[in-house]
Amino acid sequence: MSSEKVLIKGNYAIAQAAINAGCQCYFGYPITPQTEIGEYLSAEMPKLGRGYVSAESELAAINMVVGAAATGAKVMTSSSSCAVALMQEALSYACSDEVPVVVVNVMRAGPGLGYVYPAQGDYNQAVYGGGNGDYKIIVLAPATVQECIDYTYKAFYLARKYRNPVILLADGLLGQMMEPACFGENPYPEVDVSSWALTGAKGRDGKAIYSCARDEKAHIQKIHDLFKKFEIITENETSYEEFETEDAEIILTAFGSMTRNIKAAIRVLREKGVKAGGFRPITLSPFPTKRISELAADGKDFVVVEMNMGQMFKDVKYAVEGKSNVSLVNRPCGEWLSVEEIVSSVEKILNKKEGAYASCI
Amino acid sequence: MEKNFILAGFGGQGILLAGTILANSFMLGGKNVTWYPCYGAEMRGGTVNCEVVVSDTEVSSVHKQDADFALVLNQQSFDKFVQRVKAGGTIIANATLVALSKPRDDIKYVFAKMGDIANAIGSSKVTNMVSLGVLADVCDIVSREYLAKAVELVLGEKKKQFLPLNLKALEAGCSALV
Repeated sequence: MSSEKVLIKGNYAIAQAAINAGCQCYFGYPITPQTEIGEYLSAEMPKLGRGYVSAESELAAINMVVGAAATGAKVMTSSSSCAVALMQEALSYACSDEVPVVVVNVMRAGPGLGYVYPAQGDYNQAVYGGGNGDYKIIVLAPATVQECIDYTYKAFYLARKYRNPVILLADGLLGQMMEPACFGENPYPEVDVSSWALTGAKGRDGKAIYSCARDEKAHIQKIHDLFKKFEIITENETSYEEFETEDAEIILTAFGSMTRNIKAAIRVLREKGVKAGGFRPITLSPFPTKRISELAADGKDFVVVEMNMGQMFKDVKYAVEGKSNVSLVNRPCGEWLSVEEIVSSVEKILNKKEGAYASCI
Repeated sequence: MEKNFILAGFGGQGILLAGTILANSFMLGGKNVTWYPCYGAEMRGGTVNCEVVVSDTEVSSVHKQDADFALVLNQQSFDKFVQRVKAGGTIIANATLVALSKPRDDIKYVFAKMGDIANAIGSSKVTNMVSLGVLADVCDIVSREYLAKAVELVLGEKKKQFLPLNLKALEAGCSALV
């Protein structure tokens, strides 16, 4: 399996990568377009003597995940948009508890029940979260089936390295598509969790994991500590991909599977003589604010291309801080913006010189 | 070079399998390829389709609006996808279930009685394999050799007993057009 290329569906790729990463327990509840993850693990995990629980609800699944993670086990759940919404309370707890949970969200269309076709409408849900209080989650956004594998490995590693929840934010397109991919070996080292994992106090003093602090002073300190930790994560783990930005006048920005379309659009624009480049955040949280700010300071304009009503658009604008123009090319859900649509939208934006233009296709 | 194929037919005609085999054949040929199914609230007896995009460079996007090649195995799929073939593109239809008609004059048409050929071989179930053979005959970038290897790869050890019939169907498809 290791170095051989196989044609595999994104969902199965994520599931097998979780197994390779050493995932010991999976708790989940089916929902399109990610049901294959649970289906695959329900067959494979018992064969390996590992845990698979088909939970009674997503609420139960995520709380089982938090509980199992507190024992130091490698655990995961997967779901989609409206059902990940049900997990928000527990994700706030998991951040506060500092337990390493991995959540896969294969996005479908919202709001509400939405529909099963793909979308990128959970950017805010993943990056800012719907739980209470000040907390931050690490969010990784793959663009290909190969990256679904690579970032699943990374998700398990980062979760344990920083004792912080990680969301792998894929979409229905990635979940359902098949591409040649290679599993290789999980490249990350084991993380020692023995200092905090609750494994029974036989022969040692007891340990506890609390989501609350004993008094106001300690609570304030706890939140500061969590944010200091995230500063370190930002410093160490912020990840992005740049293409042809050096001489670019306009930079197309996208995350997840839309990255593929902007890469192709850049090729077409370059052929037409437009100095276009690309920027693609891989970690949506921590967001590569600093690098975008540097590019904006060089006078490069940005066009954010996404399948939602402009969620990452706001973060790019925040990073740019008015130093250059930021425009939006988007559609709320459904058929991905085609290369042709992106090219013609960028041409329209270039023809209007002043200010930032939001264009919703 | 990036080419986009749509495969469509009734649920049960083996469309997704045919697409998977086509995608595997491109992978075996060292190309970049992406397979994408229609999914959602489908029902038995309804239409099913999938898309295969092959490229020398990274595959840009799937879920495209139009195709270079459409391989259609029933009338509904013909009616729907004939409108989604690019100008200059080709539609390849199973004439056993699709009436001979040419609603547009800016695309090429290939009609073959794939269902009849499959029946003559021994089973209508291999209509999808016959159709892949026809596709290989019509389309230069689809390789007969890699298709045959892909059939073997996809059927695997478990379904090895079906390999001779499927290969025979593929071969018959390749020489269906005279």
